[in-house]
Amino acid sequence: MDVPLYLRPRVEPPLASLLRAQTFLHSLVDALGSPLNVLIPEVVAENAARFRAVQRRHHLAGRVYYAHKANRSSSLVRRLAAEDVAAVGIDVASLEELRHALGCGFTGDRIMATGPKDAEFLWLAARVGATVNLDSPGELEQLAGLVRGHGLARVDVLVRLSGFESAAVQGGTGTRLLARRSRFGTPVREAEALLSALERHRDVVELTGVAYHLDTTGVEEKARALEQCVLFMDECRARGLAPRALDIGGGFGVGYLADAEEWERWTTALSEAVLGVRPPLTWRGHGYGLRNEGGTVRGNAALYPAHRPTAGPGYLDELLSMPAPVLGRPSATLLLEHLHDLYIEPGRSLVDQCGLSLARVLDVRPAGEEPDRYLVRLGMNAGDMSLEEHGVLMDPVLLPRGGPADGEEEPVGVFLAGNLCLEADLITRRLVHLPRLPRAGDLLAFTNTAGYAMDFHAHRAQRQPLARTVAVEPEGDSWRWCLDEDYWPLTSPGGTTA
Amino acid sequence: MRYDSITEAIGNTPLVRIDPAVHGLRNIDLYAKLEMLNPFGSVKDRPAWHMARPHLEGADGEGTVVELSSGNTAKALALLAGMHGLKFKSVTNRMRVPEIKELLLLLGAEIEELPGRSECLDPTDTDDPLTHFHQALSDPDSTYLHTDQYFNPRNTEAHAAGTGPEIVKDLDGRVPDWFIACVGTAGSSTGVARVLREHDPAVRVLGLVAHKSDFIPGIRTIDEVHQVGLFDPGTYDTIESVTSGEAIDGMVTLIRRCGLLSGPTGGAAYQGAVRHLRDADAELDGTGERRTAVFIVCDRAESYLSYVRRRRPELLGQAKRGHTAASLTDAEAQAEARVITVADARRWTAEGDPRPLVVDLRSPHAYGALHIEGSVNIVDEVFDELVRGGLPFSKRTPVLLACPVGEKSLRYAALLTRRGHPDVRSLAGGIVAWRDAGAPLVRE
Ligand SMILES: Cc1ncc(COP(=O)(O)O)c(C=O)c1O
Repeated sequence: MDVPLYLRPRVEPPLASLLRAQTFLHSLVDALGSPLNVLIPEVVAENAARFRAVQRRHHLAGRVYYAHKANRSSSLVRRLAAEDVAAVGIDVASLEELRHALGCGFTGDRIMATGPKDAEFLWLAARVGATVNLDSPGELEQLAGLVRGHGLARVDVLVRLSGFESAAVQGGTGTRLLARRSRFGTPVREAEALLSALERHRDVVELTGVAYHLDTTGVEEKARALEQCVLFMDECRARGLAPRALDIGGGFGVGYLADAEEWERWTTALSEAVLGVRPPLTWRGHGYGLRNEGGTVRGNAALYPAHRPTAGPGYLDELLSMPAPVLGRPSATLLLEHLHDLYIEPGRSLVDQCGLSLARVLDVRPAGEEPDRYLVRLGMNAGDMSLEEHGVLMDPVLLPRGGPADGEEEPVGVFLAGNLCLEADLITRRLVHLPRLPRAGDLLAFTNTAGYAMDFHAHRAQRQPLARTVAVEPEGDSWRWCLDEDYWPLTSPGGTTA
Repeated sequence: MRYDSITEAIGNTPLVRIDPAVHGLRNIDLYAKLEMLNPFGSVKDRPAWHMARPHLEGADGEGTVVELSSGNTAKALALLAGMHGLKFKSVTNRMRVPEIKELLLLLGAEIEELPGRSECLDPTDTDDPLTHFHQALSDPDSTYLHTDQYFNPRNTEAHAAGTGPEIVKDLDGRVPDWFIACVGTAGSSTGVARVLREHDPAVRVLGLVAHKSDFIPGIRTIDEVHQVGLFDPGTYDTIESVTSGEAIDGMVTLIRRCGLLSGPTGGAAYQGAVRHLRDADAELDGTGERRTAVFIVCDRAESYLSYVRRRRPELLGQAKRGHTAASLTDAEAQAEARVITVADARRWTAEGDPRPLVVDLRSPHAYGALHIEGSVNIVDEVFDELVRGGLPFSKRTPVLLACPVGEKSLRYAALLTRRGHPDVRSLAGGIVAWRDAGAPLVRE
C-alpha cells in the first residue's frame, strides 16, 4: 500500500478529550449496546454563543433558531432552552418537533414553525403563539381560516421567499445568477399576490419578517437573496406592513476534516481512480458521481466539501461582510441601516463538535481477492450513522479494547460493513485507512455526527437495535453521563458518574 | 498595416526575450510569447475566431453564441458575435473577478452564473444546472451556437496552425528546449506542443495548473483538467502546480521589471518556468551549452485589479491622507465625542435654539425607507470625503449625527470636535435606539 489516504476528522475540545476517555466509552457501549450515540450538550450552547458573537460584532439584534431537524435529541433542545430567551430560539419543521420543543422548555414565542405544514401543526403553532414561517400563499389562507375559525389570537408570520435569480435580470442583458430550483418558499415574482393576501388577513396575522433558506454553499447567492429581501421589506413598509426581522435560514456548513491536504490528496486520487490510472478507492469502483467518458472525467462528485476554510459562524461573518450586489453596502450594514433584526436557523453548524456515534467491531476478514484489504463488520448499519449518505467522508477513530497492542501499528485499508444482510449495507463505500487493523471488540468512533448523520436515517429494519443516545459532560478528569431523555440543564444533572 | 477587419489582426504576436538579469538563469534564454497583444486582449482570440468562424459566416444575424467561459474566450466571442449581429451568452461559475464581468456586460454579453454546490447533499440529484444547459443546447429548436471550447478540436487547431509555427519561425526555425504553458482548456498547450514535437521530439513540455485549494483566473486545478476533453496527460512531460501568490509574484516581475503588462496566468507561467528551469540551468553551468525556453503570456493585467487587491492589497496601496475617523482609537472617540440620549435629542430637535442640523449617515435607500423628520442624508462614505478636507458646516450650526447604532456617528463627532466644531453630538444608540424609544420616523 502506498501512502495511506487518511481523511482524519477535525476534533476540538471537549470532543477531543471525550475520545481519549476510551475506558469510559467502552463501558457505555458495554452497558447500552452498539450502536450508541453520545452528545455533549454544552457544546451546542457554546456554538450558539459563537453565532451570537458574530451578530453582535455586526451590531445586529436577532435570534439564533436551532434547526431541530438536524438531530432528534432532547438534551440538545433542553440545553438550548436554558439559554437567553432573547437570543436563542428553535426552528421546528413538524408537529412532533413542535411538541418536543414545547416539552423541552421552549415557550411559543421562541419557536419558529418552518417547512410544509398540515392543519394540526398550524393550529398548535398558532395556539402556543409560535411564529409561523409561511411557505406559500396556500398556507397563509389555511392559517387565517384556523385563526378565525377557532378564535385564536393574531399570529406572527414570516413569509419565506425563493426564486431570487429571475428578479435580478435587468433589462434583457445582464448577469443572471442561476439557482438550484427549490420546492420551498414563494417565488419573489409571485410576491404581489402574497402581499395583498397579507393585507386582507391583517386582522388575524401580523407580518413580522421575511425569510429565505437557500440550499447552497455559495455566499454570493445568499448575499443577493438577502438584499432582495431587504428591498421586499421596503415594499412591505410602503404598503403599511411592518416586517422587522430577516430570517436567512441555515446552511452555514461544517468543516469536517482536520487537514486540507488529506482532502485534496483523496479527491485527486478519486479522479485518477475513475480514469483508471490508479486502483479503485471504493467498493466496486463506485465513483461518487464521477464517471470516465473516453478518458475525460464527467459528472459532479456527490461529496460534501468536507474541508472548508470558513464554516459556521465564520461563514455567517463572510456573508454579513459581503457587499450587496445592487446597493453596494455590506449585508450587515444593509440590515442595520434598515433597522432590521437578523434571524438565523443553523442546524448542522450549531451541532458541530457536539457528539459522536460508536460502533463495536464484530468481525474482521480479508476482503476477497484484494490483498491487504479487509472487511470490517460493525454493530451498526448505514441508517444508524449516515455520514456517507450525506456525502461526508471522514475516517472513524479506532478505540482499541484494553489499549493498543504493541508492534502491530501498520496502516491498513478497510471497508466498513453494517449489520444488515444486504450487499448495499456499507457504512462506507470508500476504502477507509486506519492506523492499524481493528479487532473484534474494539470500538470505532464516528465523530461529529450530531448534524443529520446520527439518527436522520435510523430505522428498525431486520429488528436490529436502534442506537440509544446519552448526554455527557466533563467532570474533573472523568465524565458524567445520563440517558438523553433524562438530561435536564440543571446545575447538577441526574445520571451516574463514570 | 492595413486591414479590412479586426479579425485579421489576430495572431502574429511578438516573442520577447526576458532579460537574464531578471530571471537569473545563466544558460537558458527565456522568451515570452505575448498573446496578450492579440486585438481582443488574449490568447483566446485565436481559438474563439477559429471555432466561431464557420458559425458566424453562415449566420444571418440569428441566434446566440454560448460558451462556458469565465473571461477571455467570452470576451473574444462577445466581440466576434457582435460584429456579426449575433448575441453572446456566457455560462460559468468561475467568474469571480468583477471587472471581467463588467467588461463582458459592456461588450453586450449576457452572463449566467451557475449556483454554488448544494449544502444538503442529495446523491440522486439530477437537477444540476450544467445538465439543463446541455439539454437546452441539444433542443432541436435551439438557436444556440455552442463553441464548446473544452471539447472542440478547432480550439487546439487554432494554436497548431498559428501559435506553434510562429514560435518556431521567430526562433529561426528551431524549436525551444522547453515550452511552458498554463492549462485552462488545454487548447494552447496541446496545439503548440503538437507542432513543436513534430519539428523536434526532444522538446520538453511543462503544463502548469493552479494549486488545488487556490484560484488563478483562467486556469484549472489538477482535478479540473481531467474534466477537459482536450486534455491528454501524454501532452506534458511534467505537470506542476502554481499558487496564486506565485502568479502575482510573476506578474509583478513581468510588469515592473520587463515592461510586460501581464495578467496572473502570464505571471504563473513565468514563475513556474523559472522555478522549473533553475535545476536544469545549474546542470548546464560550465558546459558552455545554451538552451531556450518559451512561455505564454495569456492576457493583460487591467482586468485583475480586484484579484490583486484582495490578495496583495499593499501592491495597490494608497498614500495615507489627513486625519480620518478611522484613525481615531476607540478610547479617543469615547473621550472626545459628545453624545446625547434619545430623550434629550428629541427635545433638542424640537425646541433647540437654534435647532440642530440632523445628519443621517446611512445609505440613501435606508434613509428613504425611514428617517428622523427634517434630517439630511449624507452617506458615511461621502461624509468621510467631506470631513477629510475640513468642516462641512458652519461652527454656528449645532449638529446631531445619527447612524444605525451610534458607533460611526461617535467617531465623526469626535473628529469634528477635534477640528474645532463647538457643538456636534452623536445620537446614543443611533436610529435603532430612536425607534426602540418609540420616537417618530418618517418615510418619503
Ligand atoms: C428552513 C430551514 N432552516 C434551516 C435549515 C438547517 O440548515 P443547516 O442544517 O444546513 O444549517 C434547513 C435545512 O433543511 C431548512 O430547510
